[in-house]
Amino acid sequence: MRFPPSLTALLRLSAFSAAASHGLGTDAPLSFERDIQPILSENCYHCHGPDAEARKARVRFDQRDSALAPAKSGAIAIVPGKPDQSELVARIFSDDPEEVMPSPQSHRTLTLAQKNLLKRWIAEGATWNEHWAFSPPQRAPVPAPDAPPSSLSAQLPVHPVDAFIRARLAQEKIPPAPAAGRAALLRRVTLDLHGLPPTPAELDAFLADRSPDAYETLVDRLLASPRYGERWAWDWLDLARYADTNGFQGDPERTMWPWRDWVVNALNANMPFDQFTIEQLAGDLLPNATRDQKIASGFHRNAMFNGEGGRIAEETRVENVFDRVETTATVWLGLTFTCNRCHDHKFDPLKQTDYYALYDIFNQMSETGSANAGGGRGGQMAPFLDLSTEAERAAVKTAQAAIDAIGKEIETFELTKFPRPEGQPVAESPAAIQLPGNLFATHAKVAPARRDLNGLLEALPHFRATAPDPAYAALLEKQIAAIRVRDAATASITKVMIMDQLAKPRDTFVLAKGNYEAKTDLRVLGAIPELFRPAVPPPPSSTSTSPSGSDAPSTSPGETAAPPARLSRLDLARWLVSPANPLAARTAVNRAWQAFFGTGFVKTAEDFGVQGERPSHPALLDWLATGYVASGWDTKALHRLIVTSATYRQSSRVTPAEHERDPENRLLARGPRFRLPSWMLRDQALAAAGLLVDQRGGSSVKPYQPPGIWEEATFGKKTYTQDHGDALYRRSLYVFWRRIVGPTSFFDAGARQVCTVKVARTNTPLHALVTLNDPAYVEAARVLAQRVLAGSAADPDRLSAAFRLTTARTPTPAEQKILTTRLATLRAHFAADPTAARELSAIGEFARPATLAPAEHAAWTALCLLVLNLDETLSKE
Amino acid sequence: MNPLLAAEALYTRRQFFGRSALGVGTAALASLLGRDALAASPPLPARRAVPGLPDLPHFAPKAKRVIYLFQNGAPSHVDLFDYKPKLREWHGRQIPAELAGGKRFSTMTGNQTARPVLGEISKFAQHGQSGAWVSDFLPQIASISDDLCFVKSLHTEAVNHAPAITYFLTGSEMAGRPSMGAWLSYGLGNETEELPAFVVMTSRDKEASCGQIFYDFYWGSGFLPTKYQGVAFRGAGDPVLYLSNPAGMSRAVRRGLLDDLAHLNEIKREDFGDPEITTRIAQYEMAYKMQASVPELTDLSQESEATLAAYGPEVRRQGSFAYNCLMARRLAERGVRFIQVMHAGWDQHRNLNTQLKIQCEDTDAPSAALIRDLKQRGLLDDTLVIWGGEFGRTPFLQGKIEDTKGWGRDHHPYAFTQFMAGGGVKPGISYGATDEFGFNAVENRVHVHDLQATILHQLGLNHEKLTYKFQGRQFRLTDVHGHVVKDILA
Repeated sequence: MRFPPSLTALLRLSAFSAAASHGLGTDAPLSFERDIQPILSENCYHCHGPDAEARKARVRFDQRDSALAPAKSGAIAIVPGKPDQSELVARIFSDDPEEVMPSPQSHRTLTLAQKNLLKRWIAEGATWNEHWAFSPPQRAPVPAPDAPPSSLSAQLPVHPVDAFIRARLAQEKIPPAPAAGRAALLRRVTLDLHGLPPTPAELDAFLADRSPDAYETLVDRLLASPRYGERWAWDWLDLARYADTNGFQGDPERTMWPWRDWVVNALNANMPFDQFTIEQLAGDLLPNATRDQKIASGFHRNAMFNGEGGRIAEETRVENVFDRVETTATVWLGLTFTCNRCHDHKFDPLKQTDYYALYDIFNQMSETGSANAGGGRGGQMAPFLDLSTEAERAAVKTAQAAIDAIGKEIETFELTKFPRPEGQPVAESPAAIQLPGNLFATHAKVAPARRDLNGLLEALPHFRATAPDPAYAALLEKQIAAIRVRDAATASITKVMIMDQLAKPRDTFVLAKGNYEAKTDLRVLGAIPELFRPAVPPPPSSTSTSPSGSDAPSTSPGETAAPPARLSRLDLARWLVSPANPLAARTAVNRAWQAFFGTGFVKTAEDFGVQGERPSHPALLDWLATGYVASGWDTKALHRLIVTSATYRQSSRVTPAEHERDPENRLLARGPRFRLPSWMLRDQALAAAGLLVDQRGGSSVKPYQPPGIWEEATFGKKTYTQDHGDALYRRSLYVFWRRIVGPTSFFDAGARQVCTVKVARTNTPLHALVTLNDPAYVEAARVLAQRVLAGSAADPDRLSAAFRLTTARTPTPAEQKILTTRLATLRAHFAADPTAARELSAIGEFARPATLAPAEHAAWTALCLLVLNLDETLSKE
Repeated sequence: MNPLLAAEALYTRRQFFGRSALGVGTAALASLLGRDALAASPPLPARRAVPGLPDLPHFAPKAKRVIYLFQNGAPSHVDLFDYKPKLREWHGRQIPAELAGGKRFSTMTGNQTARPVLGEISKFAQHGQSGAWVSDFLPQIASISDDLCFVKSLHTEAVNHAPAITYFLTGSEMAGRPSMGAWLSYGLGNETEELPAFVVMTSRDKEASCGQIFYDFYWGSGFLPTKYQGVAFRGAGDPVLYLSNPAGMSRAVRRGLLDDLAHLNEIKREDFGDPEITTRIAQYEMAYKMQASVPELTDLSQESEATLAAYGPEVRRQGSFAYNCLMARRLAERGVRFIQVMHAGWDQHRNLNTQLKIQCEDTDAPSAALIRDLKQRGLLDDTLVIWGGEFGRTPFLQGKIEDTKGWGRDHHPYAFTQFMAGGGVKPGISYGATDEFGFNAVENRVHVHDLQATILHQLGLNHEKLTYKFQGRQFRLTDVHGHVVKDILA
């Protein structure tokens, strides 16, 4: 099932990542950052890097001063300009296992080329510069348009994105691809901006629009549609680990969909990304926070929640704070902070105290870690926001009052029905003791007003049929009806989890090895990581244990030494999107690029640190990032800029030689081509069939799922009750996500357990089984068949219609021949097997016209299922 | 027909479906076929392997595959394998404070002030030439003790089920790292292309006396590509999701459609040049094969009555532990790399006197039958079988000593026992020891990461070298720990 890339492809890959465009020609000057730091980081930092605890011989290579200082032995690791006097050179070239570095125990070895590079770099003076991602993005001038000629360059003014991309291609002497066909481009951009294929009408309109700005008009139309927010919300939900349940044992349901709808709305409104950030991280702390801003703060309530029996609440609470720190770092800093729970980072200049300084910021909310601290329902843990209306709350009260009243009636009735000494409960009545089965426990032993629905439903048949008492049964029926009214009223009360701030701040101590109960005496106050703090004045981040009371944030300007101030969540959010953070815009732009082209400039979208991959186009990344900020974090403008580039509009056709040269298309000499995410495949199938219900927002829906999935995963505690009607055909975004067992129709999807900024794209037989056999797809094929059969009487036209709905083109004569031949075979087959025809043409709950002949319908269903499974249909091309 | 020629013929017929993608060296193929020819089982069709990483294994492996019989909930080591007469002697007296004082337990006994020692609730006897002490609750396992290697000095840090199980299966208490089976399918590929490299099957005790659920991260691929994640066979219906064709679509119709699909995709590939299309064609073909190979796998009609009887009365019930054990053998025969059989039902906090025996009855015969069956068919030599839970149970009581019906034991990470069989591990030995209360592992201690390092070692892998770079770091199953337990290797 695995297909390792060819060796040559691997070699290519490494050539693009480290050595980059220069190759390693003898005359090109070495860059520390590009050529040297990756070697040092990968092979040396583990023992000679930022982690003070693990550092050996007090030598570190992540800082120039240390590497150039004499060691205790007198040896100097690096003497600039003098490789012969540099201990580093002696050690890496040594044959002595006692001497050689990296040491044999480390299982790391340097290649001869790497050794020579290090030597040459020292000979050239051992220049050092800071890791690229930790310096603010620099806006380089757009390269001069001396790009190689292409069909596009004649038609279009040179787009800045293309100027950067082509400058690099020119270095590599690779010509860009010609433009994609108009229909292919329409499909590509519609999938990218809406997550749906173009309709035939949209296809006709675009093909007919010969105006020079037809494409730009199209892009503007797509960006203005509410479907745009639904498409882009998905990526944000993956990163925010959004789900409809808590995860872990019991996996209780929660209500976070109002937050999901907030995301869709914010994206559609093109809320600036800085505001989008601040409201989600600290909307609750904004002055006069609106209801929407409080809902937005639910971003960090999307974390999993472990309420397992026997679980220590504080451990859960601490885990959740960890998750908030690490998710924040991944999304807005592109840094991997997990290691810092236990120790200083091995590669990046991040200290354990930096981690706990962020931890302190997220440590100041009221969540207790106890699953019982809800007050809400099921998986809702305080704090939350009650979104119900006055009328909804009144309805609950009225319904409860009705239950109480009927309870009194029953109580009175039972005085005679279950005779017993005065003041005694029903259970003391001889008449009650004779009740069969569970009824004694669920009925007789429970006060009338407190009996639950299940018990009553069991009791009713007994009093109606087994031991008939019509008057009593009528009362029970009345009670059941009242409970149902109350439950329905309660269900319409929506409470969404949000963030809040403790009135009295919690002290934060560094936890030894990240163990929730192993507090060290090192107290830390909320602060941004030291790495990003301005040199002067240095705001102190940590103090040793201080007397209580000193941690109150100081608001009055002290004359001399003000007590250290704790940054709030709002301060942090504002800092993250301030010019002082070099990474927010870069990581955001990189994720957008990844969505359009399949891979970001920085392939390791989750890690921009020293060990992450260097950007393929650093100048363009920074140009886009600075432009994004300058535009007021205008996300739609960023997307528009990208999709209007010739680079995006290139054909994705490739020759074997071109593919061999750049298998992952990192240089972008061609357009993107890769399999669509599984959620988008489902939406596409629904849209092609005309099944898609274009209704936005609200509670999540439960479409088809094989029986027993939830039951098996939860030992029968959770039952999947499939919806019917429109709910079956809502967009994948609205599908209910049980965290311990996600929707089965999706594959290669983020697990929604922890923050995911990059999902895998694999190719397995199990995926083929989904798109071939999942009733969602078979029904889509069946209804697509109905659609094309209703549209025309001629087979070639019907085939064209099916193709246009899925691939936005008509079939070639060769394709037509194959499919027409198959159609004849299928017709004969299903005509001969009417049972099979009836079965296949009836899959799914959507209506089928009774007039449609089953054999013909089944033949077309099978054919349409084939079309839905074409590689081209499955791919963005 | 010579099986090699048969395979070659098959290969030629389907050569169209991408040689580069699925190809395997002829030498590797020949060696696989050679092994099949020697096997005692009825001959299975020739199969082609899915290659792993090019430089693996690091050295000649002793085992080719693993069957992990994971006992979720944690079987009580002091009642089943780690015989401590001292417990009976001290029954009802407080456990010495120097043992339990300051130690971390779950919230169930964390706040319990009295910690009386609880004598073993079963009877122990020595078995076989090795003289292994095994409880009379496990007569079948006891009877094969000369084939087993008991590791009695395991210890872990986790005190709750999910983190502790995650620790065993992924090397980390936190969910999200690749599981052992994912690592192995990533590194070593699979001996067959017709079944997944990593199959998971789950079962639970009939009374559902404890509620541990099976989280998908127990077989997740973490940061490895998702194709390496375990495929969880379902306990009811199609073992693999969406395996069956839709109603009304016969296998012949599907074949025809797939032929056309491959043809159309091939036209596309010629036009567009994307090699991923070739892979897709191959994967659709393999999906079609799985639609036949999985039903063949689960068809028990060729199993002899004697074999079925050995696995016990539950063997025909899909989703039972016995059924899963038999399926594990069938998967092993068919070349599946990692077979993770998980059984929940051992978490006896309050019902030790009733439930422990029941659990033993459900698992004893199937576990022993599997090992015997593998041995009979010559498969035990290169199949490593491991049996055990995520931690042990407290030598002291959870509950009140006078309430015998409510006796239980809490989670105990400080010492517990697992046993192994086959796969180049020494048979008929006990390794490591606990103190006289079975409280702490004191001699030849084996940590979770040590066990993992040892498993990888038996498969020809240096656990420090099977790594994957993620978030800037080279990750491995054993984190930064782990020592191969050389003493137990044959």
